[in-house]
Amino acid sequence: MKNMNGGITMDKNTQTEIFFGPNHPGVPGNYGIIYDFEGDTVTEAKPNAGHLHRGFEKLMEERIWIKNTALVPRICVEEPDINEMVYAMGYEAIGDLEVPKRADYIRSIILELARIQGHIFSIGGNAAGIGQYTVMQWGTLARDYILDLFEEITGGRVYHIYIRPGGVRQDIEDETFEHILEVMDDLEENRLPDLDKALYENPNAHKRWKGKAVITEEEAIEMGATGPVLRANGKPYDVRKMMPYAAYNEVDFEIPTGENGDAWDRLKIMREEMTQSIKIIRQLINNIPEGPVKLDLGNALKYRIPEGDAYVKIESKRGEYGYYMVSDGGLKPYRVHVRGASNPLGLYGVTEYLPGTRVADVPVWAKSLGICPPEFDR
Amino acid sequence: MRNEKEVIKLIENNLDPLEINKKRKQNLSVSFTPDKTIQSLSFLKSNSYKHLSTISCVDWIDDNEFELVYHLFSYEDYINISVKTRIDRDKATFVTLKEIWPVAEFYERDIHDFFGVEFEGNDNLEELILENWNEIPPMRKDFDTREFVNEEYEWRDYNGQKHTD
Repeated sequence: MKNMNGGITMDKNTQTEIFFGPNHPGVPGNYGIIYDFEGDTVTEAKPNAGHLHRGFEKLMEERIWIKNTALVPRICVEEPDINEMVYAMGYEAIGDLEVPKRADYIRSIILELARIQGHIFSIGGNAAGIGQYTVMQWGTLARDYILDLFEEITGGRVYHIYIRPGGVRQDIEDETFEHILEVMDDLEENRLPDLDKALYENPNAHKRWKGKAVITEEEAIEMGATGPVLRANGKPYDVRKMMPYAAYNEVDFEIPTGENGDAWDRLKIMREEMTQSIKIIRQLINNIPEGPVKLDLGNALKYRIPEGDAYVKIESKRGEYGYYMVSDGGLKPYRVHVRGASNPLGLYGVTEYLPGTRVADVPVWAKSLGICPPEFDR
Repeated sequence: MRNEKEVIKLIENNLDPLEINKKRKQNLSVSFTPDKTIQSLSFLKSNSYKHLSTISCVDWIDDNEFELVYHLFSYEDYINISVKTRIDRDKATFVTLKEIWPVAEFYERDIHDFFGVEFEGNDNLEELILENWNEIPPMRKDFDTREFVNEEYEWRDYNGQKHTD
């Protein structure tokens, strides 16, 4: 048979090095993967990080506690609220503060809204990775309704600076709760079924995601990968259940799991988690207690907590998001270290588990594992 | 499933900790001398603490020490353990954890970039985030960002206004 490569045989031209990113529609953000391939299979890969480094950890050491609440949401564009929450939790853990009940409920509502918009965003991104742009555009519309809610609650669409040490910035009106419930009904009845039809019932999607980018349970635990990557193997490991924070121990919800640990199972988990998040939000709004929404911590410019350190973590849409915070009793944090959910996968995972993937599946691999470069480039 | 007390007992009976701190629910922090740290981490890993969240480094410039903090988690006990150790700041060298957790290679590269700590046994400590960096490692407390910016870059006038530092 005639060779398809214009006469170039594989043994003459065995390996080629490719710079995949930092500017490429198939990579998630300003981040590159340098890989060699043979035929159309990746043989060796290494991460090329650092294009997005903004020195957040150093900046935080030079700003007072309250100023950092405006800085932390910028660490991960997809999940600003998660960062605000972990930062506030770290402050409260070192200072041994207990947040009012109503603030806990409001925080959980915000975090679940953030989870839904994040999942819609990820599903859209994943679909775009295989060329299904319709899903991304419909998803952007569905997500916008949630951003409208954020605007109503906090004044900001993407970055909210709403969760802060001691509680939340301001109370939510009853009218806004009604709006949240309306959007949840609309999502459940119209938006998400649309996504189901366009993506989850699409034979192309089954073909492209089933059996791809498999990470087994042992591999995930060994490298510290969490979230849907770990749960796609069947165990319901979720920080919301294992170490409950905010109001999660007062609501009833399930942790969706998969069986095969592949990209398809992770996509399905994201979809099912949105159903659970809607359920959580309804319960929280129906049972929200009255009371204050923040502690009185005195002059915001003079916030101080005693000497100490704490590692705090919460469940982001892609798994464990942790901060290690150290205070020396001063007006500024002494050290803040960010552990992003995709740190292990984006760095170690690329070198270890990307080889063996076909070239056309590299975007499927990178996107379905939820790699977010701003987290390791922080 | 063990509770915090049982885990503390396990550590005290088998290892040689300097200090055990139980501040919050489901959270322990344990300090070791540098020479006992790696074997203690290995022991904890074989006792269900298989999840390594990350490795943090703190520059305690007044004590002339770096503190390395290994954050572990057990999917059986649901407890976080922060394992701490302090090394000399002038001779910032420690042993790699790569043999026990291969993923540690990258966390160590990150610390090497930003704090200049060397890890014996990790043969791949090339720059991960930084590029062609010749100054002192930037996350050290004695690295002054303002001074660096003033030396490295030129201030520009904006809308006719002169820059004042």
